[in-house]
Amino acid sequence: MDLIDTFSVAASGLSAQRVRLQAVATNMANARTTRTEEGGPYRRRMPVFEAKVDPFANELDRHLARVEVREIVESDDPPTLVYDPAHPDADAAGYVAYPNVNVLEEMVDLMLTARTYEANTSVVQTTRNLASSAIDLGR
Amino acid sequence: MSAFLFDRLHEGLGRVLDLRMAQHGLTASNLANAETPQFRARYIPFDRVLASAVDRNRDVELRRTDARHVSAPSEDALQPEVVEIEPVPWAQDGNSVDPERETVRLTENALMFETVSRGLSKRLAMLRYAASDGRSG
Repeated sequence: MDLIDTFSVAASGLSAQRVRLQAVATNMANARTTRTEEGGPYRRRMPVFEAKVDPFANELDRHLARVEVREIVESDDPPTLVYDPAHPDADAAGYVAYPNVNVLEEMVDLMLTARTYEANTSVVQTTRNLASSAIDLGR
Repeated sequence: MSAFLFDRLHEGLGRVLDLRMAQHGLTASNLANAETPQFRARYIPFDRVLASAVDRNRDVELRRTDARHVSAPSEDALQPEVVEIEPVPWAQDGNSVDPERETVRLTENALMFETVSRGLSKRLAMLRYAASDGRSG
C-alpha cells in the first residue's frame, strides 16, 4: 500500500458522493415533474454504492476498498396523488400523479452527502501532509 | 543494512511508519465507504500490536550464529492484524462506519506518523552529526 493508492481511495469516495449529489439535485429539480420520456411522473433516483477490493492486492491491501456506483435505481414508491382536475395531466377522476420525491428526505440526503464529501477531502489533505513528511524524512 | 548504524530501534521506527501508513489507507477506505451498505469499518489495533511486540521480545529469538544466517522477519509488520467493526444493531444498512470516529482516527494516526517520523529524522541527524566528526552540518 502506498500513499498514491490512498489518494485514489479518497478520490473514489469523492466521486461517489458527487454522483449522489447529482442524484439529489435531479430529484429536487424534478420534485413536481409530471411528464417524463418513459411516461408518467418522474421517479426518485438514488445511486447504489458498492465496495470494490482490488483482486490482485496483497494480504493487507485486501482490506482496502474503493467505493463505486454500481447502478442508479429509480424508486418504486407510489406517486403522490393530488386532486387538480384543471391540470392537463389529471386522470379521469381529476387526480394528478406527482413524483414520489420527498423534499425533506432529499435535504437530509444532501446534508449527509456534503458531510461525507468533506470527510473524504480531509483524507486527501492528510494524505498530502503524510506524504510530504515522508519525503522530508532525514532532512 | 549495517547493524551498527541502523539498529533495532531504527528498524522498529520504520516498521511503525509502515503500520501507520497502512492504517491511514484503512481510514481512507472506511471514509470512502461511509455510505456503502454492508460495509464494515476496519482498523489496526495498535495497542494489541504493541503488546504482542513487547511480549515477543521476552520470547526466545532466533539466534544468529553465522553472519550468513537471515533473521526471521516479525510477522506483525508484514501481516498486521486488521479488525472489522460490527455494525450497531439499529444500523439499517449494515454499515459500521462512524464518520466521527474515523475522522478522529485520521487525525490521531497522522499525528503518530508525524511523531515517529520526527524521531527517525532526529536519529538520522545524530548519525550525520557523528559521521561529520561532530561538526554540525
